Amino acid sequence: MKALDRKLLRDLWHMRGQVFAIALVLAAATATFVLSLGVHHSLVETRDAYYARNNFADVFASMTRAPRSLVDRVAAIPGVRKAEGSIIQYATLDFPGRPEPARALINSVNEQGRTELNRLAMRSGRLPQPGAPGEVVADESFVKANDLQLGSRIAALIYGKRQVLTIVGTGLAPNYIYALPPGDILPDDRRFGIFWMGEKALEAATDRSEAINSLALTLERDAHAADVIRQVDVMIEPYGGTGAYGREDHPSHAFLDNELVQLDAMTRVIPPVFLLVATFLVYIVLGRMIQTERTQIGLVKAFGYTNAEVGWHYLKFALVIAVLGAALGCASGVWMGRAMTRIYAEYYRFPFLSYELDPRVFLGAAGLSFGAAALGALGGMRAALTLTPAVAMSAPAPPVYRRGVVEAVGRRGGFSAVGHMIVRHIARWPGRSAITVFGVGLSVGLLFATTQFLDSSRAMLDGFFFRAQRQDLMVSFIEPRSEAALLALAQLPGVLRVEPSRAVAVKLSHENRVERAAIESAPRGGRLSAHIDVDGIEIELPANGLMLSRQLADKLGVRSGDQVQVEELGGRRSRLSLPVARVIEEFVGERAYAGEATLLGITRDAAPVGSALLRIDPARRDDIMTKLKDMPMVLGVSERDATFIRFEDMIDENINTMLAFYISFAGAIAVGVVYNSARILFSERAHELATMRVLGYHRREVATVLLGELALLVVLAVPLGCVLGNGLARVMTTMFSSDLFRLPFAPEPASYGRAVLIVLAATAFTAMLVARRVMHLDMVRVLKGRD
Amino acid sequence: MNFHGEDLRKIYRTGETEVQALRGVDLDIEAGEVLVLLGPSGSGKSTLLNILGGLDRPSSGRLLSGDLDLTALDDTDLTRFRRDRVGFIFQFYNLIPSLTAEENVRLVTDIAENPMEAGCALELVGLTERRDHYPAQLSGGEQQRVAIARAIAKKPGVLLCDEPTGALDSATGVRVLETLEAANRETGATLVIITHNAGIAAMADRVFHFLDGRIARIERNGSRTPPGRISW
Repeated sequence: MKALDRKLLRDLWHMRGQVFAIALVLAAATATFVLSLGVHHSLVETRDAYYARNNFADVFASMTRAPRSLVDRVAAIPGVRKAEGSIIQYATLDFPGRPEPARALINSVNEQGRTELNRLAMRSGRLPQPGAPGEVVADESFVKANDLQLGSRIAALIYGKRQVLTIVGTGLAPNYIYALPPGDILPDDRRFGIFWMGEKALEAATDRSEAINSLALTLERDAHAADVIRQVDVMIEPYGGTGAYGREDHPSHAFLDNELVQLDAMTRVIPPVFLLVATFLVYIVLGRMIQTERTQIGLVKAFGYTNAEVGWHYLKFALVIAVLGAALGCASGVWMGRAMTRIYAEYYRFPFLSYELDPRVFLGAAGLSFGAAALGALGGMRAALTLTPAVAMSAPAPPVYRRGVVEAVGRRGGFSAVGHMIVRHIARWPGRSAITVFGVGLSVGLLFATTQFLDSSRAMLDGFFFRAQRQDLMVSFIEPRSEAALLALAQLPGVLRVEPSRAVAVKLSHENRVERAAIESAPRGGRLSAHIDVDGIEIELPANGLMLSRQLADKLGVRSGDQVQVEELGGRRSRLSLPVARVIEEFVGERAYAGEATLLGITRDAAPVGSALLRIDPARRDDIMTKLKDMPMVLGVSERDATFIRFEDMIDENINTMLAFYISFAGAIAVGVVYNSARILFSERAHELATMRVLGYHRREVATVLLGELALLVVLAVPLGCVLGNGLARVMTTMFSSDLFRLPFAPEPASYGRAVLIVLAATAFTAMLVARRVMHLDMVRVLKGRD
Repeated sequence: MNFHGEDLRKIYRTGETEVQALRGVDLDIEAGEVLVLLGPSGSGKSTLLNILGGLDRPSSGRLLSGDLDLTALDDTDLTRFRRDRVGFIFQFYNLIPSLTAEENVRLVTDIAENPMEAGCALELVGLTERRDHYPAQLSGGEQQRVAIARAIAKKPGVLLCDEPTGALDSATGVRVLETLEAANRETGATLVIITHNAGIAAMADRVFHFLDGRIARIERNGSRTPPGRISW
């Protein structure tokens, strides 16, 4: 080994604390990179493999009832590779002893296993046998959540008829990776399941002999989806078709896509912040190290080493840190990725979801780590390369302190000598002090920006659950009903108020943009629902025209005052042009609203009631639930408070895991920055501190000089961190918003406090580590060192 | 302030090597005395000075200052001893570069029990004019005088000087020695000076000659030569 390399190893060992602290920051960067990219990669790979293996369709359509022969006609459309028809039917399930009804979405499946599109992946048991009417395959999550087994029997109400279902198998399908109960915003494995029943059996159960109500298509590689959709629309129109749509509008696909967008956003925002800090740290530490090694640099240059050799020596120092950071980061990124994947596996129903890593992710992570370290090293090295040997070997000029602004403040403040030492040192090295302030500020900012998502979620919850939804129960009907259904509900003992919730499926178009949507409406003077915008303001439905959510308006490219073409899907298929009366900033989904009169203008008859909102007497809740369960028209009941609790649980489970990760990441930055600053400070001031000890200062008093400077910098960093965090949080909130959700930016003041406290704790811990060195300062040796 | 030491020994261990810096030193130093320690490098002068000043502890032996047993003090009490009674002066001044001359003195007056005014200490060393200058703006001799002002400001019982003129030219060195002597005369502080310069021995009451960790010889001067008449 060359002598210079031996020196490198010893330097690394000697500075191991600082090396490790920088590596920690680099590790945090690579970990977030590996974590989010790895999870992203795993989800995409798993999804794509699952889609390919089980033939997830490209185009979907549903209708009221169509002859099976329609399938062949659709299959003949140019560009369609394969078309399949099936029956999809909601059913109400009755679990004895449970007042609230559970729901199932039953899909028909060929008993011989000939269903090819959205093919069922069997997890256990077998397919239903032909001619065995009650046999079903149930989705795995539902079976687990309800403690069911193969052979379990469940009473069901299908299409108005009671039937006992027997579970003969469990399975999953690519069109139900994420399955939401109708009208709900969260999955509910206990109360909502996906079932598959033999084709013949479901035909019989729903009186649809040789008929279908759903189509799935795969397309040729070069097919144009929009053309096919247009042709399918024409074909299904006579059968009550509600418009064909592609994967991007498929609920399961869209939810998964939403998650991928968020993971992608995380990769774009967080690792760069860490890399920036790490680059600065390498820059400072290496710059400082080179300064203390001036003489040695002059010496080796005098011996004939070239600038390139000296530069490479110090670059290697940085690269070793990069290797350490990348290795640590990759390992923890993989570990965290596994934990995240386990969470995803609970919410997304994949037959397999393993955390798999593309070697390119590691290469990318290592590249980032190396790049940041090398960039920092080059900055720090510049001085070493420009020094001539003669200058380098002479002692550096003593630091010159001057009076400045800080001085004036100090005089006015009546600082003690120790106080002057602190502020003058900060003012003497403004760049370095600024980096410490910036680094600690960033860790506060990052922590705030990530933890404020808790506030976002809660603000969204508050708006969505408590202010917008004022009902206790939402009863959804098997088929849209007339006003009479409301009367039937109002007569149940304990029901205090009933209001209809109407919705009409439409296609909205503006210029060449087309979007499917449901225009929702509530009665004028209704008390059980409200429209709350992101600022928490209640918005009235417009008397004329449509109110569109911001996401939908943006997709259509319209502003308030523009006209949109409305085409009713199903019903009378009326077409008309309506003005956009208002665009509302909302949290959830792409939605459209209109007053009841406008809705009537579209449907021309009284618009059917899709669901009803109920306010009830809590004491009679179980009775009402039991009664609702027995009403054939009722498909399902969602309870606002129960959904709220599930949302809270989800936040507790998922967000807390994420929070733990981010707290450790931000902690890593704080520790890295503070440890390095403190060590540099200590090495620069060791002589002064020893002098103070000689003069009779106690250890604690001497430590004040060191800790005081750090504390002052951290105090400066706190407001900066809050400002940085606010900005970063706004960017992240925007980036995390998708077509499905818009997060409000609504941080609680306490979130700033929490971020600050966590960083202060990490800072204090680190400072204490260095302060211990002050406690063990050997006065005699330090003073001799100079002489 | 007086000292009484018996069989003082100091062993430094670094790794496997053991260095005997003091090999049994007995001494008595009287209050107000001017003492010069002479001897080659590594003969134990600085070790003894550090022990006298409470910067270090002997490995064995006993050291009394008045009725205070320095060898029995814990770290806090040793710090207090230095804070209130000992003034140190080093070859390279050890001033804090970020503090002005006056603030360097205040570093001591801020904590000492019964100090003189910082300005007063600077006046004693003739640096009133330079009180607001930083160390980098002062000459070597001026820096050393600031160090002396800092040492005498606490009104110490003993001034311990390790090569106080080692880094100075002769004229400046004389000036510094005069300042030290004046401090001894006016405050009654015991003055202990380490030097390689045998000429300086003439200003002492007694001279301890060090060799191999022991006091090889003690020389008593009939009368003290003023620093101005010392042959450099």
